[in-house]
Amino acid sequence: MRGFGSTLGLYERGHGPLYRLPLPIKAAASLACAGTVVAWRSPATTAVVLAVTAGALLVGAGLSPARVLRMLLPAAPVLGILALYQGLTQGWLRAFVVVGGIVACLLAARAVTLTTPTQDLLDGVVRLVRPFRALGAHPERFALALSIMLRSIPYLAGLFVDVREAARARGLERSPRVAVTPLVVGAVAYAHRTGEALAARGLGDHEDSDQDGNGDGDGNGDQDPGATGGRRDPENS
Amino acid sequence: MQPAEKTVTEPAGRSRRSSRKRWDTTDLSLVAVFAALIAALAILPGIPVGPLGVPITLQTLGVMLAGVVLGPGRGAAAVLLYLAAGLIGLPVFSGFNGGFGVLAGPSAGYLLAFPLAALVAGLLAVVVLRRARRFRAGLLFLACLAASLLTIHPLGVAGLMVNAGLPLRDAIIIDAAYLPGDVVKNILAALLAVSVHRAFPRLLSTGRRAPRD
Repeated sequence: MRGFGSTLGLYERGHGPLYRLPLPIKAAASLACAGTVVAWRSPATTAVVLAVTAGALLVGAGLSPARVLRMLLPAAPVLGILALYQGLTQGWLRAFVVVGGIVACLLAARAVTLTTPTQDLLDGVVRLVRPFRALGAHPERFALALSIMLRSIPYLAGLFVDVREAARARGLERSPRVAVTPLVVGAVAYAHRTGEALAARGLGDHEDSDQDGNGDGDGNGDQDPGATGGRRDPENS
Repeated sequence: MQPAEKTVTEPAGRSRRSSRKRWDTTDLSLVAVFAALIAALAILPGIPVGPLGVPITLQTLGVMLAGVVLGPGRGAAAVLLYLAAGLIGLPVFSGFNGGFGVLAGPSAGYLLAFPLAALVAGLLAVVVLRRARRFRAGLLFLACLAASLLTIHPLGVAGLMVNAGLPLRDAIIIDAAYLPGDVVKNILAALLAVSVHRAFPRLLSTGRRAPRD
């Protein structure tokens, strides 16, 4: 669990046209696939989209068919039961439409995350938020929060393991309250420490920037979390 | 690697017209760390329940905790951050899932209900903490229970109907399988929230926010 951060991010190095395609195009195509399946629930569209997404993974990302099937393994129990249920109650064609649609959506989403480095994904999302700045959104703060979140997960997972071991040593591993209370209190304390560290570095605070002419200079400093916050995190690369 | 200038901003164009109270860095990191906490709790192996095998996880515990510990605004923001991270493809949903493909899955309704649940639980928790001096754990439990009955279960049922194509009756029956676990998790969330608020009394300001040093 300590090395947990290394498993975050689904990117895998590889070669293929899908790797070279810019993220916006990939994301839009993938969303379009998912939208098509959900909007037109017919066997034909499901089959076509399923073929397109599987083809994209096989050809575009150069994966083996076995690898694509393995990708669906975590969802297999749910999908299997759902297919059985739909098949028995509403016919097998209907089962194919529902389950095939879900599989197509999973594959379409995975095709993007598999072929895009995690950091590029994060940057892409921050870019996506930017048009909403006029509505009061703060892409930099969003990026900062996202990168704090990512680097907190390994810490919390490690804390959880420690706390559980401590509880086991006292013979209390059966009590979820004993197992989780120090985790939550520790999380809050960690957040306070992180907040103080950020404030000490002048990150994430935009308020009162109209007081002085240095507000714009601070604005420059504020870009850094967005641009480099997650990137310096070696576990995500 | 992308060029670094893509996050170039125009600080002059930053609008300051939002009149709502700005969060300071501690609020920001509380939001981020609670999003991470939900992710950490969700990733721990869940127990598949019911015929559709939507797993019972501690995910909802994290969602409720975010609401009752951080309050409605920051709580909902933490859950939204968690959802955003999951939808863009980080494997933070239960069972190492990730990506917007989950929106087509049978548990999509539950996921979309989470921010609302944190919001409702947070609103009720603020009332409880402001008014009640005794029986706080019990009242917080009721707040969590109300939030999950008002948001998570109706939207979860709707998700089962839309994505899994189930009739209403079956969807409700499947959803009911999660109620006992939910009650247990809500009790746990209330007990934890009482402990956390005892350890950090200023975390959720009741009335005026205490001045920060």
